[in-house]
Formats: sequence, C-alpha cells, structure tokens
Amino acid sequence: MMRPPIILLKDGTENKQGKGQILSNINACQVVADSIRTTLGPRGLDKLIVDSKGATTISNDGATILKLLDIVFPAASVMVDIARSQDAEVGDGTTSVVVLAAEMLKRMKPFIEDGVHPQLLIRAISRASEEVLKYLNELEIKINGKKELREMLVKCAATTLSSKLVSQERQFFANMVVDAVNTLDENLPLNMIGIKKVSGGNLHESRLVKGVAFQKAFSYAGFEMQPKKYTNAKVALLNIELELKAEKENAEMRLTNVSDFQAVVDAEWNILYDKLQKIADSGANVVLSKLPIGDVATQWFADRDMFCAGRIPQDDLDRLMAACGGSVLTTVSQIEESVLGTCGNFYEQQVGSERYNFFEDCSKAQACTLLLRGGAEQFIAETERSLHDAIMIVRRAKKNDSIVAGGGAIEMELAKLLRDKARTIAGKEQMFWMAFARSFEIIPQQLCQNAGLDGLDIVNKLRHRHSTGEKWAGIDIHREAIGDNLDACVWEPSIVKRNAITAATEAVCLVLSIDQTVKNVRTPSGGAMPGLPGQ
Amino acid sequence: MAQAAQLLFDENGQPFIVMREQENQKRITGVEAVKSHILAARAVANTLKTSLGPRGLDKMLVSPDGEVTITNDGATIMEKMDVQHHVAKLMVELSKSQDHEIGDGTTGVVVLAGALLEEAEKLIDRGIHPIKIADGFDLACKKALETLDSISDRFPVENRERLVETAQTSLGSKIVNRALRQFAEIAVDAVLSVADLETKDVNFEMIKMEGKVGGRLEDSILVKGIVIDKTMSHPQMVKEIKNAKIAILTCPFEPPKPKTKHKLDVTSTEDFAALRQYEKETFETMIRQVKESGATLAICQWGFDDEANHLLQANDLPAVRWVGGPEIELLAIATNSRIVPRFAELNEKKLGSAGLVREITFGTAKDRMLSIEQCPNNKAITVFVRGGNKMIIDEAKRALHDALCVIRNLVRDSRIIYGGGSAELAAAIQVAKEADKIDGIEQYAFRAFADALESIPMALAENSGLSPIDALSDLKAKQIETGNSFLGIDALYTGTNDMKEQKVIETLLSKREQISLATQVVRMILKIDDVRVPDDEKMGGY
Repeated sequence: MMRPPIILLKDGTENKQGKGQILSNINACQVVADSIRTTLGPRGLDKLIVDSKGATTISNDGATILKLLDIVFPAASVMVDIARSQDAEVGDGTTSVVVLAAEMLKRMKPFIEDGVHPQLLIRAISRASEEVLKYLNELEIKINGKKELREMLVKCAATTLSSKLVSQERQFFANMVVDAVNTLDENLPLNMIGIKKVSGGNLHESRLVKGVAFQKAFSYAGFEMQPKKYTNAKVALLNIELELKAEKENAEMRLTNVSDFQAVVDAEWNILYDKLQKIADSGANVVLSKLPIGDVATQWFADRDMFCAGRIPQDDLDRLMAACGGSVLTTVSQIEESVLGTCGNFYEQQVGSERYNFFEDCSKAQACTLLLRGGAEQFIAETERSLHDAIMIVRRAKKNDSIVAGGGAIEMELAKLLRDKARTIAGKEQMFWMAFARSFEIIPQQLCQNAGLDGLDIVNKLRHRHSTGEKWAGIDIHREAIGDNLDACVWEPSIVKRNAITAATEAVCLVLSIDQTVKNVRTPSGGAMPGLPGQ
Repeated sequence: MAQAAQLLFDENGQPFIVMREQENQKRITGVEAVKSHILAARAVANTLKTSLGPRGLDKMLVSPDGEVTITNDGATIMEKMDVQHHVAKLMVELSKSQDHEIGDGTTGVVVLAGALLEEAEKLIDRGIHPIKIADGFDLACKKALETLDSISDRFPVENRERLVETAQTSLGSKIVNRALRQFAEIAVDAVLSVADLETKDVNFEMIKMEGKVGGRLEDSILVKGIVIDKTMSHPQMVKEIKNAKIAILTCPFEPPKPKTKHKLDVTSTEDFAALRQYEKETFETMIRQVKESGATLAICQWGFDDEANHLLQANDLPAVRWVGGPEIELLAIATNSRIVPRFAELNEKKLGSAGLVREITFGTAKDRMLSIEQCPNNKAITVFVRGGNKMIIDEAKRALHDALCVIRNLVRDSRIIYGGGSAELAAAIQVAKEADKIDGIEQYAFRAFADALESIPMALAENSGLSPIDALSDLKAKQIETGNSFLGIDALYTGTNDMKEQKVIETLLSKREQISLATQVVRMILKIDDVRVPDDEKMGGY
C-alpha cells in the first residue's frame, strides 16, 4: 500500500530540528565568540578587517567587529544582537558579554548531549542569574561625594580605555572624557559631544574644546578678507540660503519692455541685500548657515568685517545652539539680538592640514568637541571608537554611581557565591548551577590567555584567594600577578556587569530553547542558499 | 587550523556557514599575522630607504595614464605607488600624516617605522608578547623625546640668515640643490612675508605657486605680488601700467540677467532696436562706472564678449577676464581692494592699488603672464618656478613646499636640533643607556628601539656611499667619548662631522613627530592578530 508523501514545505526549505540542532547552534555561537575572544582585556589584540569594498577597519571593539563580520547563521546572530544591545545600553563590555554567553553555552553543551531537557537548563539558568544579580547588588560599592565621584568616573574611563589602542595615554583621555561629559546638561545627550578627527600630530595634541569646533567650510572668494578672530562674538545661526537665486523654482517672467529688465534684476538683488542688511543690523558678527552662503554674500560680509560660513552640518549647528544659545532661524524677518548666540572667543586656527573654526567660552556651554589627533586614519578611527566607549561608560556611571572591581575580580567572586549557593540545592539542578558558576571564570581566564599568562594556574590561585574572603582579588595584567583590584583602581560601573549578565543569560536561554529552524528558500534569483552549500 | 574552525558540521556531517561569504575570505591569525604585516611594512620602508638624505636618489613613478613623476619626497612616492596591501597602506597614511602635520621628514618616518618593526620581529621570535614590545617602545619613545628636548637649541627666528640655512638642509636632498641658496631664500622670504609672528600662524593659502616650463631653475623668483596665467583681454591694450588702480569685479560685463526664468518677446523692429540700444547703453554705463571710480585696470572673474572687449579698448580701459576665484581673492588681499559684485557699487574706496602691473613674456614662445607687483599689502605673494621640463617644475614645487613647511614650523616653535642623523644617534645612546636600568622584558624593547633609531644615520651613510657600519660605530664612539651630540654623518664630504658647524638644521617639532608617529603606527601594527580579507584581491605579502 503506497501512500503519497505529504509535502509540507516548499522544496529546498532548510528544516532542522532536535538535539542536533541545539548542538550546532551552540557550535555556531562558539565560532562567533572565538573570533573576538582575543580582543578582551588590556593585552587584547586588534582585528583587521577588510570589507568587500576594500575599506580597512582595525578595531578592538566587540560590537564593531561583529557588525563587520556579517553573520548569516540564524542562531549565531543572537550573539551579534547581544553585543549590539550591550553597545547601545552601556557602550562597553561588548566583547565580554559575547565571551560570557558563549562560555555558558559551552558549559551547557555536555548536559544537552547527555539528554537533559533544555527547559530544565533554562529554568536553572534563569534562577541562577537572578541570584547573581542579587549578589551583584550586594557587592557593588556606592561612591559618594563630589570629588570621589569625579575620581571614580576617571578610573572607570581609564579601565575601559586600558584595553584599547590608546591605553598608554589612558589617564590623559580619561580626564578628557570626564571633562567632556561634565559639560553636558542633565540628560547627558551624546550628540552634544562632537568628535572631530584630524590625522597627523601626536595623541597628546588631542584636546577638548569647551565649545564647538568644526572644519572650515568651503568658501567663496572674499572669505580670506574676513576677520578670523572675535571676542564676545554675536553668532547668528541660520537655515537660509544667502545666495542670488531664483526666488521661485518654476516661475517664469514675461517681460514686455526692455526697461523692465533692470527693474527685475534690481529686485532680485534687493531681496538678497535686504536679508543681509537685516542680519547685519541685528548686531551679529559671525553668521553661520546650514545652507550655502554665496559669493555675493561672502563679499558683502567681508566688506562689513563680519565672518560667515555656509554649509555647516546640522549636528555642528545643534551643538553651537547648545553652546552659544540663540536659535536657528529660517527667516531673517524677525532677527534681533535676543535670538543671537554669544561666544566669548571665536577664532580660526590651523590644525594639521586643515583650518578649523573654534567657538569657545560660550554663554551656555552645554556642548563640547573632542579634537582628536593621531597618526594614520585608522588609528584615529579606532581612537574615536574607544573614546565613544569611554564616554558611554562615564555617562552611565554618572547616573548610576556604583562600581565593582574589574580585571576578573567580580566574576570570580560571583562564581564563588554561586557555587556556595549551589551546594545547598538538592537534585540535578545543582550540577547546572555549578556549570553556570564555572562559566563566569572564563573572563579572568581569557584575560590571562590574551596576556600570555597561564590561565589555569592564575584562575586556581584566584579561586583560592576568593575562598579565603578576598572578594576583590583579580588579575593585575600590568604586573602579571594577582592583586586587590579595588585598591589598584581597576574599576568598572556595576551597570556594565549587570547588563552583560542579563543579556548573556537571556541569549543563552534563547539559544537553548530553539529546537527547530525552518529557513525558507530564497527567491530563485538569490542563487545558492547561504547555509547549505552544495545543494 | 584557524580556517578549519570556521567551517562547522552539523549532526549529519553537512557543513554550515556562520558568516556571509566566509569561504571567500582569507584569514590569518596570531603570530603569523603579525609577521606577515611586518614583512609588508618593511617592504615599503625599504623602497624609501634609498631616498633619504642629501645623497638620496629619486624615484620615477608612472601613473596609469602615463604621467611621469620624479621625486624623492616620501609622501609623494607613497601616494603615487598605489599600495594595495592593507598594512602597507598604514605606512602610506603614516607618511601622509607627517606630511600634513609637518610637511617634511616624510621619508624618515617610514624608514624609522620599518626599522622598529624589523626589531620587533626579532623580539616576537623570542616569544615576547607583541603588546609588551609595543609598551616598551612607547616608554623608549618617551625617553628618546626627552633626549631630543634636552639637546635642542633655541633658534633665532629673527635671523634671516639662519633660517636660510635651515631651508637649505631641507632642500639639500631635493632636485633643486643646484640652486640651493636661491630656493632657500625664496622659501624664507615667502614664509616671513605671510607669517603672523604674534599668533605663530602661517596661512599657506596666501602663498601662490606658479610654474612655467622653460628657463632655468635659477630663473625662479619670488614675486611680491601676484602672477596670474592670463593676459589683457585685448591685444592692443597697454602692457604695462604704473600705479594702477584696480577694480575687482565678480560680475560679467554684460547686461544683467535676472536669475528667475524669464522671457522677452520681441514683436517688432522697434522693440529689437530698443533692445540693441539697451544693451549698448548698459555696456557704456558699466564702462563709465568703472572709469568714474578711477580704476585703470579691471579684473573680471567672468568673461565678456568681443563687443564689450572692443568698447573697453576704445575707452582705454585695460581689462583681464576669466580670473579664477582663489586668484581673485589673493589679488584682493594683495592690492587691498574689495571684491565688487555689482557695477553700481563701484566707488573709489573699493579699488585696490598696485605699483606695477605688467605682462611678462617668456623665451620664444608667445606665452605671457600678468604680474601684479609692488602691492600695498605683501601678505599675498607668488613663487614663480622655472625649469627645463614639467617634471622638474613639479618636483621643485614639492621641494619648495617642504622647505616652506620647515620654516613655518620654526616660526611656530623655534627649537631646533641638528641633522645628519646626529639627533637620532644621541637619542639612541640615551635610550640604550636607560635600558640597562629597567627590569622586566621592556628592557629588550628598549634596546631594540635604540637599534632602530640608529637605522636613520645608517641609511644616511649608506646613501652617501660611506661604509655604514664603520661610519656609524665611529660616530657613536665619538659621541660617547666627547659627549657632543651634534656629531652626525658627513654626507656631503665637507670634512667635519659636527653638524652645528655644517649648519645642518632640522626642527625639533619634525623630529619629535617622526618618532612618535612611527611608534604609534608600530603599536597599531603589532596589536593586530587577526585579519580577514576578501580573497579575490590578490595581495602581496601572503
């Protein structure tokens, strides 16, 4: 008796399920973690990635690397997502979150192979992670006092920077970042810190401009005749095109008389001159516009010793508004002194091979600009990413002023507490808890490995130290020894760890709970399906 | 092994892919990656090595469309080589950023970085962690910079003679060294006339470089004014104007047109006649307005047609047309005039003045240029370079640019050190001395750094035809013995090793920048341990 097979899915659809599926998902996540594993910690190395267009990126930032890897395997993209969410939420610790999640999965793998039901594991993990967060709350140290707060911020920033390319200058940059964040208002808007990169020069020549700085815009003839230095400048921020142009795009005029010609031309000139005159009357002496400022206007301003610059990018204009006050105008009809910004010190200066406009000592001073200098373009690009991480950390730490010790200390302590707790649990769940606890130790272990130290040896020593009650014992990479990292000022905001642990456990639960993947065929034009070569 | 780790097999033994197009990617990791980078970077450094110093040789580079460049300017060579390898590109960036920041010493920085990497490779072979090496280099770099600071000299910026000597050092290695003194003077005078000594700022946009094929290098001059590659609009206009009053116009000599789309219907002959009349009148009014303002020369950003040209000539008003925007600007600054966008606004106050405006002719060719000299404001100047062929002129311009940068750096920071590899050697000796005091693995990196610093005098000696090791060891002994840190390689065979006596001067700024930039890049290269590159690019080095 022949029964025709029931075809449920379209031909070519990838359909995998069962235990094997969970295992291969875990394997894929391992691969992802392996590719960024070595970037962890102060001795972590960088990755150089050339994309298909030939652009080179050198980075140490987990989120950046994962983004560039272009991962297509469905389960593995979970790892990319947690790195991204860590990046968006706290900005740092992107590598550690991935490494941690991968390690948890690795520790769970033997149980899956032995036939434990994934749901049991998931239940144990989520319970354990709740416990961990509770411990974390107990362990974290609150920082009080203004001076201490600043010190704390600098130390946190320095810890973040220590694994980056600029680690030699981390004190310098940490101070800079903290100063930058401190200029912001209460909401700490990130876009009010502008980062400008100028290649050439020494890292030490990087500076924090308390105000706004941007590259000289394209200028028309006449620009060089304008003064380039004002004290107590009045700044007009415009969104108006100051150019001689057709007032209406689609209009056409019919002239019947030759003498009308001159009248029309004069009318056009007068429209422009009116605008210019109003700006000049308002008392402004620096005119900035998002839209182009034409040659006639440039020369007109030059004639009256005013400074103007057109085509200023929107974000620079926003920062200027935050720094100097005033507002961006879209018409000059109501321009008056009250809508102008003020700026104590305006000047133009050569930076590297570019000329930059600086606005300093501004009245509101809620924006600042980091002017980065350094060798190659990729070098500054990586510096920017590093500083971005540091800025994010400082922002988070400022809002949430409790810290833990880094360098693997907190992870070891959490592992120890978990292990103690696990011993009180009866049944096979105890095993899962132990495995979960064990996975935290990957962080110090990886730190050692990257530094060329004996990971097993050091982790064993740490375990011993923690069991004798030294709760902040961690690795001091620079001395290649074990020490109290709270004293050694290797500090991290506890929010980083909290977020990392939550994100990692969630990802692990997610990966473990998948037992079937159905992947539809691509539309025929798509060619071979990724994930199934040779079919 | 690294490659295999990327390919996974599921329970049925079927491979699956984690990353897009991973089979098309090349990946190398670990020490192997670091080593291949070092190899690539050194290859680049070796190309430049022979261009170092006054006896350095030039490179000839042919672009894809057959244009030939001959130069020994490090940054230019790197730029034109069109390097493919991604790490070698970092070296290109390196020389570029030295070029942007300092403008000189672009070869030295690459050679130094190459030498540092060479030393680093040996240390990696010994099993030292790349970051440890980089850390050691950073410390050594700090020490070297300290040494440079301590041996630096104050430079009298007011002393023109000394400035000229410095410019000569920079130009010495270039093609123009036949007219060394002259070019050095041009560079010094050019910078001094545009420099703002108060703010220590030099705006290079005020220095215009113009070149013309023909004549000899020695015919190159510095014009205190502007030279533009234009002629009077009408061949019969006067060729020389003394005490010219100049009107600079950015409006065309033609009836004004509204920007809005417009249309004029001509329906009858009378209308047409009226139109003609109007045009004619407009021309006449314009010329009258210019005349009335008192101008004796009109310089126009736009063109004008033959009719206007004729009228101008008839009214005895010389004019120049199609002058580019930047030139208009320089002219306006030099002559103290205001750029006028409308004829109606023209008045005497807006005019500029120049002592002498003349057309200059060259050789047998009918090439003519307009030179505007004796301007009231000498903040804008032109360097006019002559030479046998285009390549020489281009190279001379590059050489001059380097020299200009050197002088500018002196204006910015007046500290100097002496060249000929003496500063590097002094730093090397100090760093090596310091190395013995350090405990830990950094000691090795320190020594390696000192060795790398010696590669500069070494390359200098080699390029000068001396026996490099003999010359170097000799010098080193002498420096240590006498404590005189001005002893360097006598590349020009003048008979003395004392660079102070030879007057071979370099700016401290440039040397500092070289050393710190090179260290930075080396750190960056050493820190990379994993490379993914699309495989279709056939790159060298692997």
